[in-house]
Amino acid sequence: MSNRKGKKAVRMIIGFAMVLAGLTGCSKGRTDGKIEVELVSYKPEAVEVFREIAERFNATHDDIHLTIDSPNEAITILKTRFIREDYPDIVGIGGDMTYSNFLDADLFMDISDLAEVAMVKQSYLDMDKELEFIPQEGIYALPYVANAAGILYNKDMFETYGWEIPETWDAFVALCEAIRECGIQPLYLGYKDTWTCLAPWNALAVGLTDSDICNQVNMGNTTFLEAYEEVAEKSKALLDYAEPNPYAYGYNDACTAFARGQSAMYPIGSYAIPQIKSVNPSMNIGSFTFPANEAKEDNVLNSGIDLQFCVMKNTKHKEAVYEVLRFLYEDETIQFYLERQGGIACKEGDFDIPEELEDMREYIEAGRMADYQDHHYPSEMSVDAMIQTFLLDENEDAVNTFLQRFDKAWKRYNRDLIRKVQQYQQETEGDQ
Amino acid sequence: MKKRMSNRDKTFWAVVIPVLALFFTFNTLPMIKGFIYSFTNYRGYGTYEYVGLRNYRDLFTDVRVGKSYLFTFKYALAGTVLVNVLSLIMALGLNSRIRFKSALRGIYFVPNIMGGLVIGYIFSFLFTYILPAVGNAFHIPFLQNSILGSAKYAWIGVLIVGVWQAVAMNTIIYVSGLQTVPQDVYEASRIDGAGRWKEFWKVTFPLLMPFVTINLVLSTKNFLMVFDQIMSLTKGGPAQSTESISFLIYKNGMDGGQFGFQSANAVIFFLVIVIISVFQMTVMNRREEQL
Amino acid sequence: MIREKKKTNWVLTIVLILGTVTVFFPLYMAIIIAFKKPSEMTNDVAGALAFPEEWSLDNFRQAMEVTNFWHSLGNSLLITLTTIGLAVLIHSIAGYVIGRGMAKRKSFRFIYLYIVSGMFVPFSILMMPLVKQTAQMGLGNRAGVILLYLVFYMPMNVMLYTGYMKNIPIALEEASNMDGASTWKTYWRIVFPMMKPMHATVAILTALGTWNDVMTPLVILSGTGHNTLPLAQLHFQTQFGTNYNLAFASYILALIPILIFYIICQKQILNGVANGAVKG
Repeated sequence: MSNRKGKKAVRMIIGFAMVLAGLTGCSKGRTDGKIEVELVSYKPEAVEVFREIAERFNATHDDIHLTIDSPNEAITILKTRFIREDYPDIVGIGGDMTYSNFLDADLFMDISDLAEVAMVKQSYLDMDKELEFIPQEGIYALPYVANAAGILYNKDMFETYGWEIPETWDAFVALCEAIRECGIQPLYLGYKDTWTCLAPWNALAVGLTDSDICNQVNMGNTTFLEAYEEVAEKSKALLDYAEPNPYAYGYNDACTAFARGQSAMYPIGSYAIPQIKSVNPSMNIGSFTFPANEAKEDNVLNSGIDLQFCVMKNTKHKEAVYEVLRFLYEDETIQFYLERQGGIACKEGDFDIPEELEDMREYIEAGRMADYQDHHYPSEMSVDAMIQTFLLDENEDAVNTFLQRFDKAWKRYNRDLIRKVQQYQQETEGDQ
Repeated sequence: MKKRMSNRDKTFWAVVIPVLALFFTFNTLPMIKGFIYSFTNYRGYGTYEYVGLRNYRDLFTDVRVGKSYLFTFKYALAGTVLVNVLSLIMALGLNSRIRFKSALRGIYFVPNIMGGLVIGYIFSFLFTYILPAVGNAFHIPFLQNSILGSAKYAWIGVLIVGVWQAVAMNTIIYVSGLQTVPQDVYEASRIDGAGRWKEFWKVTFPLLMPFVTINLVLSTKNFLMVFDQIMSLTKGGPAQSTESISFLIYKNGMDGGQFGFQSANAVIFFLVIVIISVFQMTVMNRREEQL
Repeated sequence: MIREKKKTNWVLTIVLILGTVTVFFPLYMAIIIAFKKPSEMTNDVAGALAFPEEWSLDNFRQAMEVTNFWHSLGNSLLITLTTIGLAVLIHSIAGYVIGRGMAKRKSFRFIYLYIVSGMFVPFSILMMPLVKQTAQMGLGNRAGVILLYLVFYMPMNVMLYTGYMKNIPIALEEASNMDGASTWKTYWRIVFPMMKPMHATVAILTALGTWNDVMTPLVILSGTGHNTLPLAQLHFQTQFGTNYNLAFASYILALIPILIFYIICQKQILNGVANGAVKG
């Protein structure tokens, strides 16, 4: 009796195991002898372009097969894959805090022996250098495409009313007044999505502070209370020219409103253009550098690396990976990408600047650009939400409250890093 | 006789042991690991070091964490009370002499089968555009601005959506509860000449007590763990006024690099939920016995 | 008395019918958004409430393409159905054993509390260690997701089944045991069929949870090429742009199977939910 019972139980467990075993089948090995190179890109909106690039690559290479994956929530996916120790060969990520963290976790390979590195515009290599917590020997990323953030404007509207592009803060304020007198909303803000608070913030900050301000703070040379006062005040001044209660509207709402001519300008990066055009495909959009200063010469364009390629340290076929990078960095491939996705090439050379960024040309060509400052903010500090809180704070000393909180939170969230940096400083000083 | 009982015992253990092993492996073990991580500065990847009780010390001095606990408690309290009152009323309605009874019951359950995120996106649209327009049309100042854009009232928006979805399940549980009340009890009370109101409190409610307990415990727990609604409606804003504990743990623990610290937060959160639930069950059980 | 009983309360009926607006209005919004084009999306009320310019299935076709609908649907169905099946088999027998054992032994009472307390564990603390653990065990795949669901829903389901056991008189089993049937056999022959109302409840609650879940597949399945529907729907939500129209079209597509399932099981769940929940 108990024997039969046992048998039945065994049968059930086997059945259970079989169901599960049937679902585990998922091997990644190739049978045709080609070397498989896997690239994970964090830009899901570029999925079509990368699909075509991969097809082109595979059509011209017999020994290597390239797979480009552009999943949504790519950074979460990458992090979980790193936990699983399931590494792709190449990752395409932005030049931001994620890059800093991954690099600090010793995940990337030094690619300074790749010839293409010499073709990158120096300003972008510098940006990546500044993203290193602890200065590293070597180069760990191949900057591909940059974007620019300033103020988007409705070209047709500007033409109709004869408005000029402002080059100083005063001119900008005067322009907003003039627009309002014509009965038009000067700005539209989508501050319900807190990250959009960072767009004007960054664009102002690059013009008003040093680009390595965060490092200066980490080394104890200055405080944000000193550095960011003007940035904070001017961020708040924008609210006067925006729709009432901008915290009720998200990024998408703001894009829609701007696309429908509900405002003349929209302080956001060039990455918003495709979304705006999906609502109003025939819209003429322009973009100018944020006039943060009183003097035009002091203005700096806010431009950061939108996409760069990093090679994972664990890759088993460095040569094949380098071949992929060489292909991606061919002028033709870059041009193809730019045509579809827009942006500014990080490679030296004669690439088209998208029509929408024409007004930024002189800054781009002169290299008068600085990286988004939030690329240096730890994400768990939620600076975007702190800015939103500050903008909602109507007290007299809101700026002070906010920046003191900023300094305090900065120390708290970066404490391990600050300790590392200062330790490194002591070590290097000790060496000398 | 004795032998057979021990056979029964054998079967029992043969079932319980694998189940326990499964549960331990995929629930308790990871929880222990999470507990261990709560003593580190682990980011979720890369190297980490042990920092002793630092995370726990920080937890009690962190203003943001403190605010998230306040928000979550406020939300859970309001949500639990509202859901239980509303669903009890709904259940009484759906259990009375109405037409289309089963169709209506079916319809009112629909919110429960939709995903929390999807519901959030739909309501976000309603709050941003439809309600302010209604406010403008009828000059109701409270509605003229989207409540999701107000640091003071955004939590009410989140609450409405949370309640909208939770009422469905709780109503059904109350309906089933009402069906267990035998008709002759009512008949008896009617002969006694008790009014409707009195009848409810003296007859129906005491018999419903077990259902009230289960609904209270489950809805408190669900409201304390609120996540989807925050994610799709406010993302914690405006001005960090709607950051729930789960949201903060996820956002800074997974997306941000605070895995170690947020693990400590999760450990405390777990204890808080268990304490509240045990407290509720003890109190309710005592009341059940009294009635 | 009897006549009074049969009289329909029309006022209440009408109030309740009007109340369904709270359910239908959001659904109405979702449906019209799903049919509109991005260029038809406006920020004003009249426009937002209006019917789409034409009732074209184009969004649905596109949404199906982007989400690789049939493949994702297949995965979702596979995971949900397997989870339901196994949950009903495993959780019911666990609930039976624990429910019967509890009456006699302290150890089972303890096991019951241990498992049910799992309901209160925040998922966020488990997530990261689970990702690592499932990967090490070779379970970073659909089977892993199913196993995890079986564990996540165990506390709730065991509670329901254990509670329901109080409604099943032990005398039946004893009689069957007297006839010489083993406990195992008695369970499958007599107890299991008697728990049918609870099976329906467990099935639908488990199905609702797994069908709409994003997090577990996101962290376990990402990168394996096996998307579930909610996972595939993430395609529509990017920070730099959301195609609401395609997104809502795909939400509605994903809602249809579970809605059908609900309509089929509706009667069971409406009758059965509380059966076990009460005396837990």
